[in-house]
Amino acid sequence: MPKYPRLQSLKAINRVMERYYVKRKLMARLKPMAYVTSGAPVEILETMGVLTLYPENYGALCGARRDAVRLCEVAEEDGYSQDLCSYARSHIGAVKQPDGAPLNGLPKPDLLLCCNNICGTVLKWYEVLADHYSVPLFVLDVPFQREPQSEPHAVQYVTDQLEALIAWTEEVTGRRWKPKKFREVLALSNETVSLWGEIRDLGMHKPSPVNAPDLFVAMAPIVALRGTRQAVQVYKGFKAELKARVADGVAAVPGERYRLLWDNIAIWYRLYRFFRPFMDAGACFVTDSYTNAWSAAEPVDLDDPLTSMARTLLAVYINLDLETRAGIVADLAQRFAVDGMVMHANWSCKPFSLTQSDIQAAVREQMTLPTLMLEADMCDSRRYNNGAIRERIAAFLEMLG
Amino acid sequence: MTRSDEILSTFQDIGEMSLRNWRERFPDYRPLGFLSGYVPEELFHAAGFSPVFLLHGREGCGHAQAHLPGFTCWVVRSALDRALSGELSALAGVAFAHTCDAVQALADLWPRVVPNPPALYVAMPHHLAAPAARPYLLAELQRLRERLEQITDRALSDEALRESIALHNRTRALVRQLYEVADRLPAPALHTALQAAFLMPKEVYNPLMADLLDTLEAHAELALAKGEDPKGSPKFLGSQHHHRPRLFVVGPELADPTLYQVIADAGGRVVGDLLDLGQRYFARAVGETGGPLEALAEHTLAMLPTPTKYHPQRRREAHLLDMVSAGEADGVIFARQKFCDPHGFDVVTLKTALDKANVPHLLVELEQTPHIGQMRTRVEAFLEMIGA
Repeated sequence: MPKYPRLQSLKAINRVMERYYVKRKLMARLKPMAYVTSGAPVEILETMGVLTLYPENYGALCGARRDAVRLCEVAEEDGYSQDLCSYARSHIGAVKQPDGAPLNGLPKPDLLLCCNNICGTVLKWYEVLADHYSVPLFVLDVPFQREPQSEPHAVQYVTDQLEALIAWTEEVTGRRWKPKKFREVLALSNETVSLWGEIRDLGMHKPSPVNAPDLFVAMAPIVALRGTRQAVQVYKGFKAELKARVADGVAAVPGERYRLLWDNIAIWYRLYRFFRPFMDAGACFVTDSYTNAWSAAEPVDLDDPLTSMARTLLAVYINLDLETRAGIVADLAQRFAVDGMVMHANWSCKPFSLTQSDIQAAVREQMTLPTLMLEADMCDSRRYNNGAIRERIAAFLEMLG
Repeated sequence: MTRSDEILSTFQDIGEMSLRNWRERFPDYRPLGFLSGYVPEELFHAAGFSPVFLLHGREGCGHAQAHLPGFTCWVVRSALDRALSGELSALAGVAFAHTCDAVQALADLWPRVVPNPPALYVAMPHHLAAPAARPYLLAELQRLRERLEQITDRALSDEALRESIALHNRTRALVRQLYEVADRLPAPALHTALQAAFLMPKEVYNPLMADLLDTLEAHAELALAKGEDPKGSPKFLGSQHHHRPRLFVVGPELADPTLYQVIADAGGRVVGDLLDLGQRYFARAVGETGGPLEALAEHTLAMLPTPTKYHPQRRREAHLLDMVSAGEADGVIFARQKFCDPHGFDVVTLKTALDKANVPHLLVELEQTPHIGQMRTRVEAFLEMIGA
C-alpha cells in the first residue's frame, strides 16, 4: 500500500482543539458559556469574554469518533425522525445521555446564540436546547441573499440585530461591551480568515501540498477559534508547513494525476478512508466548497464593524443564491485547475444538497467537468452504502482515465 | 341532493381538478400559484391575481428527480414535478415566501429550471419578534408591491389592497365559522371545505361557504327544535353520534384527504387543527384601518408561527394545549410529512407537552402515496385506545 506524507501541523491543530475543549470544561463555572452556530458572529462573544462551544463541531466529532449512530438513536427514541440533521440528532443524543458520549458531553451553556445563515434546522435545534437548559436564546435572523450583492434593507435588518445582540449579551452576562477589545478581536479574526484563505490557495500548486481531508481536520479553529491568537498561531504554522512542501515539491498525493473538487460537508466517519481509493489512483482533492465557506468573505471593516459584519453574515456561501454559488464553484474549479468534481448529496444538509444537481448543471454551462454525485450522510453511517459507493468511485476514476 | 351536499361536492370537484382546467372553470380570474403559508395573498389579489395554493398531488411524472434528491419532501418535489409536466403553465406566476430550507431551495432553482410560470419571491423574517422584523418585512412587502406593479404595468393602490384585505377577511371569518361547526361535520367534509379556500377565487368561495354554513345552521336549529343534540347533527354524522372521539390534527398542509377519511371511517371526528394551512391561517383578521401594507406586515408577525418561524412569546405547544382543552379534544394526530425538518422537530416539542398534560397522541407519517392500510390500522387502534 502506498504511503502518504503526514502533516505535522494537523497534530498541532488537534492539540489546540483538545485544549479548547479541556479549557471549556474547566472554565465553564468561571466564565459564561455560550453555544453558537457555525455561521454566528462569535467575535462579539469573544470580545465579551464569553466562552463558546459549537454543537455542530461536536456533531462532527461524534461522527469522526463513530459515536454518532448510537447518539442519533438516543434522539430517535425521543421522537426525532431519522431524516433530521445528524449533527442535531448526535448532539441532542449526547445532551440526553452524556455518559459515554465524546468528552462525556459538552459543558452546559449559560446562553445560546443561533444564527440561521446556514440553515433552518439550527433554529429548531436551539429552541430544543433553550428549553432543555432553560437558558436565554438569541436568534440572529439573517435572510437568504437572493442577489449577488446584499440588499440594503437586509443589511440594515442584520445590523440592527447585531446591536441588539451586544445589548442582550451585556444584560445576560453582566459584562460590559468594550469597543477597543472588539477591534482587536476583529483584527485577529480578519487575520485568521485571511490565513485560512492563503492556506487553501496553496492547493493551487501542482502538485498540491494539501488534500481536502487535511482541510477538514484543519478547519476546526477557523470555525471555533476565530478572533483568537491561538488560531492565528496554529494557522501560521500550518501555512509554513504547506509552503515548505511546495518548495520541496512534496505532494499530498505523491504522483498526483488528477485534481478534484469536493462539494458539501465531509463524511466524518470515513474521513480518510473515503478518500483512500482516490489517493491510491493519484487523485487529490485540491479544493472544496465546504471549507471555502470560511475564507470567501471580505475582511470586516474595523471602522464600520457591525454593518460590515452584517454583510459578511449575509454572504456566507450556503446563504447565497444558486447562480452565485455555481459561480463560486466554477471559479474554484478554474483557479485550482481541477479535472473533476465529487458532490456529496448529504441527507443531513438540505441547503447544501437540494440544489446540487442544478449547481452542477450551471457549472457545466461554463466548463467540462466530469462529476460524481454520491448519496451519503455526514455523520449517520447508516446512510453509507459502502459497496455501491466503492463501485461508483472506481467507475469515476476509470472514466477520468 | 341537498344544498350542502351540492356545495361540498363542488368543493370536492375543485379539490380534485387539475390546474390545467382552472382557467376554464374560472374564466374571469387569473390564477397565480403559491407555496408556503406566509405568502401575502392580498397583495397578489390586489394586483389582479387569484392566489391558488400548489397542493401536492399523489401522482408524479418523475421529472423532479433530475433536480431534487430523494430525501426532499414530496410537497416540494410534487410542485416541481407539476411545473415540469406543464400543468402550471396557465399560472401567471408562482409565489414563494421564505419558510423552510426545502421551499427555499425550490424557489432558488425555479428560475433556472422552470421557464414558465415565473417565480416571485418574498423574503420573510424568521424571528418574528426580532427588533427590526417589522421594518424589514415592510420593506419586503413594498418591494413585492413594486415588482407586481412592474409585472402588471399598473399601480397597486392602497384602496385596491384594502378591498382585497376585506375580501380575504371575509374568507377568514367564514372559515372560522366552519371550525365552529367542525364537530358536526364528517372529517372529509371539513377537509374539503377548508381546502377549497386555497384553490378557488375568494369571490366564488365566499358566497358558497356562506351558503354551506347557513344550511348547517338550519340543520342545527332543526335538531334543537326536535330536542336532539345539535352536536351530533343527524344529517352529517349519521345516527351513532355518541362517543365519537374528538381529534385535533397537527401538521403542514394536508393535500391528501386520506387521513380525514380514515379518521371518519374509524368513527372519529376532527374538531380542530394546527395545520400550517388550517385554523391558524384564518384565526385572525388583517387590520382594516391604517396603512394596508402595514396591516399585512402586522398580521404576518402576529399569526401563530408555523414551525419554520421563531417567536419566543407565541409558543406552539401552549397554543395547542389551549386549543385541545377548548375543543375538548380526546387526542391529537400528528400528520408529519416525511423529510419535513421544521415539523420533524416541532412534533417532539408538541408531543412532550401533550405527554405532560396527559393528552394521547399518534404520529402518522405521510409520504407521496399514503400507506392507507397501515394508517387505518393505527388510527383505529388509537381511537379504540382513547375511546376506552
